[in-house]
Amino acid sequence: MSSTAQERSDRLSTLPFQTSSSSDESAIGGFWASIRELLAHRELLDLLIRRELKARYKDSSLGFLWSLIKPLTLLLIYYVAIGQFLGAARGIPDFAIFVFAGLTIWGLYSEIVSAGTMSIVSNAGLIKKVYLPREIFPLAATGSALFNFAVQMSVLILATIVLGQFPVSWNLLYVPVAIAIVLIYGIAFAILLSALNVYLRDIQYLVEVAMLLLFWASPIVYAWSYVVNAVDVPSWLPNVFLLNPISNAVLAFQKGMWQAGSETRLIDGVSILPQPWPADLDLRLAIVAVVGLVLLIICQRVFQKLQGNFAQEI
Amino acid sequence: MSSLFNLPEIKNPPVVIRASDVSKRFVIRKDKSLKERIVNFGRSRRHKEDFWALRDIKLEIKAGSSIGLVGANGSGKSTLLKVIGGIIQPNDGVVERRGRLAALLELGAGFHPDLTGRENVFLNGSILGLTQKQTAEYFDSIVEFSEIGDFIDTQVKFYSSGMYVRLAFAIAVHVDPDILLVDEVLSVGDEPFQDKCMAKIREFQAEGRTIVFVSHSAAQVEDLCNRVIVLSHGQIIFDGATDEGIVALRESFGK
Ligand SMILES: Nc1ncnc2c1ncn2[C@@H]1O[C@H](COP(=O)(O)OP(=O)(O)OP(=O)(O)O)[C@@H](O)[C@H]1O
Ligand SMILES: [Mg+2]
Repeated sequence: MSSTAQERSDRLSTLPFQTSSSSDESAIGGFWASIRELLAHRELLDLLIRRELKARYKDSSLGFLWSLIKPLTLLLIYYVAIGQFLGAARGIPDFAIFVFAGLTIWGLYSEIVSAGTMSIVSNAGLIKKVYLPREIFPLAATGSALFNFAVQMSVLILATIVLGQFPVSWNLLYVPVAIAIVLIYGIAFAILLSALNVYLRDIQYLVEVAMLLLFWASPIVYAWSYVVNAVDVPSWLPNVFLLNPISNAVLAFQKGMWQAGSETRLIDGVSILPQPWPADLDLRLAIVAVVGLVLLIICQRVFQKLQGNFAQEI
Repeated sequence: MSSLFNLPEIKNPPVVIRASDVSKRFVIRKDKSLKERIVNFGRSRRHKEDFWALRDIKLEIKAGSSIGLVGANGSGKSTLLKVIGGIIQPNDGVVERRGRLAALLELGAGFHPDLTGRENVFLNGSILGLTQKQTAEYFDSIVEFSEIGDFIDTQVKFYSSGMYVRLAFAIAVHVDPDILLVDEVLSVGDEPFQDKCMAKIREFQAEGRTIVFVSHSAAQVEDLCNRVIVLSHGQIIFDGATDEGIVALRESFGK
């Protein structure tokens, strides 16, 4: 009778069965299968990022300017309190550029990790009712963090141009490397912590505290030279400091964007030598990146193992 | 039977959903925070409770059929749909399927209250598997079906619950699934809209789509389905013709 029905039925009989759900975890695809599935959903990822950005400032009149006001306020605070009152600006040339560069790259990392950690729990409604590759939620958080980063980055570049400090040098190549490292580690921790947060809600508060600690453990508001030259500090300390992958990324980013750090400058008649950048920074960055990629794969596998129970645990 | 319902005659319909010995156990932990876990460490058994929401479900569904999935509250209907839809994983067994599947477990699950109807149509369409281009193509037809008119450019938090559901259902019916899982979502909306939804479901049936339909309304099930599955405490206690199924359902309530 109805030919559309018969056609549909005939087409379906030629299709192979696919697994909807299974008790056997190995039936769920590996790392590359997940990547392929995510690629197939990239339009949705794009929409989720837009949703996040649009919804955030929807009813505010200043809109996305708010994403700038916070880092600029931080800049002002650190500039006045640490730069002027504590006198750091006397030892760090172009202190404003230095601090803003650090805040910008750090902001990217901390937003990816903290928004990423919340991403699965805050999308509970969707996860309980629709099948989607769940990595899409931490990735959407990453996307919106990247947007905010791009805004800040433009301000930073503009500022360097206006101040005549735009770094025309090969050091500029450190910038994409730093961003890549921050993305690798940010995404790795975001997917891992977002999954753990489903089972243990304390994770999100733990992350807040950890980020605060990490902020002060990275050379953002103080320069690397202060760590190296600090008196009464054992000589191994700078090395421990450099074990933190994000410190390496921050240093690379500063080396790229903060021209004054690689020159001899005069401040109030005192000449300030170039920053003692870690001698083997390039090698360190390469190692940090490779370790990060391995970490990312491990975190994704853990996520994949845990995600089967998301819908019922949230 | 095809004359009674709107079901088309199909020669050699293939199996599109196959569940083999599917069981699902839920563990309910009563301590979600770190403090409680530490305090209760070692005694964690007492703070866990588990029970089987689905037990040894064996099921084959052929293309073009309309199944009524019924049972008392808490009998496992929604859980079964979620396992079929791949939203949760069973503890035992496998569910396989073929063809494009759409699960209407809750209408508008992906709606964001702060976005407008229009923005939500694109987002929800994408969540249900439409490309942006397809959504743009169907957009006018979606708005027309929902009868929501100028409100399409209003944030959905200002919608009435009926409007919300209308828009969500309108998107869902444009997804073109081979298999449609419906969980009690048709009972909302006013009468004309319910009729419209029913008409749409009939149209889906005529096009040979497979529908698994959870409902507490015996009349609706009798009206739409050619096979009824009755669940009780996670087990299939009846699988067969509609009228007998309704009787089996009534009997199951006492247990
Ligand atoms: N995420 C979960 N965690 C723990 N238990 C759950 C979870 N989801 C469902 N259950 C339990 O599983 C059982 C079956 O639930 P289900 O939602 O499948 O019932 P149902 O047949 O759809 O009921 P209703 O007619 O009320 O919709 C219930 O006892 C419920 O409490
Ligand atoms: Mg239910």
